Amino acid sequence: MKKSRITADISIPLVFIALLLVGWEYIVRLRSIPDWILPGPIQIVGTLVDNGPLIAKHAQSTMIECLAGFSVAILLSFVIAFLMDEIALLRKALYPLIVASQTIPIVSVAPLFIIWFGYGMLPKVIVVVLVCFFPVVISLLSGLAAVDKDYLELFRSMQASRLDIFRMVKLPLALPAFFSGLRISAAYSVMGAVIGEWLGAKEGLGTYMTLSQRSFQVDRVFAAILAVTALSAVLFLLVSLVERLVIPWNRLDEK
Amino acid sequence: MPEIVVEGVSKTLGGLLTLAEINIKAGDRDFVGILGPSGCGKSTLFNIISGLMQPDQGHVYIDGRDITGRMGRVSYMRQKDLLLPSLNILENVSIPLVLRGLPRKKASAEAAKHLHQFGLEGFEKYYPRQLSGGMRQRAAMLRTFLFSSDILLLDEPFVSLDAITKRKMHAWLIDVFKAIKPTVMFITHDVDEALYLCDKIYVLSDCPTVVKLETVVPFCRPPHGRTIVDSQYGTIRDQVMAALEI
Repeated sequence: MKKSRITADISIPLVFIALLLVGWEYIVRLRSIPDWILPGPIQIVGTLVDNGPLIAKHAQSTMIECLAGFSVAILLSFVIAFLMDEIALLRKALYPLIVASQTIPIVSVAPLFIIWFGYGMLPKVIVVVLVCFFPVVISLLSGLAAVDKDYLELFRSMQASRLDIFRMVKLPLALPAFFSGLRISAAYSVMGAVIGEWLGAKEGLGTYMTLSQRSFQVDRVFAAILAVTALSAVLFLLVSLVERLVIPWNRLDEK
Repeated sequence: MPEIVVEGVSKTLGGLLTLAEINIKAGDRDFVGILGPSGCGKSTLFNIISGLMQPDQGHVYIDGRDITGRMGRVSYMRQKDLLLPSLNILENVSIPLVLRGLPRKKASAEAAKHLHQFGLEGFEKYYPRQLSGGMRQRAAMLRTFLFSSDILLLDEPFVSLDAITKRKMHAWLIDVFKAIKPTVMFITHDVDEALYLCDKIYVLSDCPTVVKLETVVPFCRPPHGRTIVDSQYGTIRDQVMAALEI
């Protein structure tokens, strides 16, 4: 019973996607739509295979930017969330600023980083940091703030120091919220890197995309989109895996 | 001698006089019940006794020493089990020992000695979420006990349990306390629970809280039998009910 439901959960969306792809291929062939407007899925996969090594090379630098930006964002969020949680004044001062910063469209500031830091990896990493920082720091902060006050009083009555309380109580209890923010960031980070590369770069999936698009090689654009999606999925799965290892207790069902 | 004396304690919270001159006492190895309507400041009283809160007036004496506003002498167990979901049962119950500076291994070994008595043997590697409410409450009790074994403040420890589990916990508690003989203050809303467990009962009034009734229960913790048949039972129960205005 349960097994068949899991099979259904997987097979139903797969069948649906397959139907969409067949429909797409059928329409492209039936109407003989030209390649430079809309290639069919079979051709896109063919392009992906043919250009595999080239796309992999571009994907590699995009991945490096993602991982670097992602790591910096995590480190930064931990430090800032810790300070903001411990020092009420800092929380009051920074919180509105962090939220307001999200109203600035990233595409409008990314060119500035290129002006300031050139065409290398640094401006892309900065864009990734900016994109990833917000979901992580906000989820970590709300996780820390949501810790039941009774826990804090209990530990205070057992004469735990502030550091003990942070280490033993607040941090572990905030980790589930932190990881849900992290999963959102993981999906965003590749997008951040691609936006950074669009605006000017020597290498990366974003560059490959703009170059292909300018020469009307739409199949290559689609192949790059597939690669971007795959990278995001890999990062997402990676975060989920780390989550399982770090907080195994969180998956235990509440009895 | 582990005894708690609360003398003339009053406290105003948020402009509201919550506790007005409370005098209560739990003598050596007494099991003292505190009954009162919701929101009458029973938990505030425990916060003051445990030193988490300073009273506006009055003093708390333990072992004959004034410990008003000082933490760390008594252990305090709340309604919620407050076990950390990130640690297993053994790690959870050893927390007070670790906080006292014992190395983790030693703390675990020390805590493990008591697992049998608290009915947790074989469950040391389980996480709190894998256990029933009754077991979690026993684990919380063991953690409380390992912090300070001779004076326990229990704030409605069984309130979230179903009637059958609660009854089992009573029997278990009586057994354990026979062995460890602590001095206990026990908050409850349940008149029968109080009459079953406590040597002495204080009934508190609505805000501003004063002690309305102090009564000794001569028949508590019957050695045999589950039902109290003492002829005074009805009389004392009625007195308590009258004081609670129910």
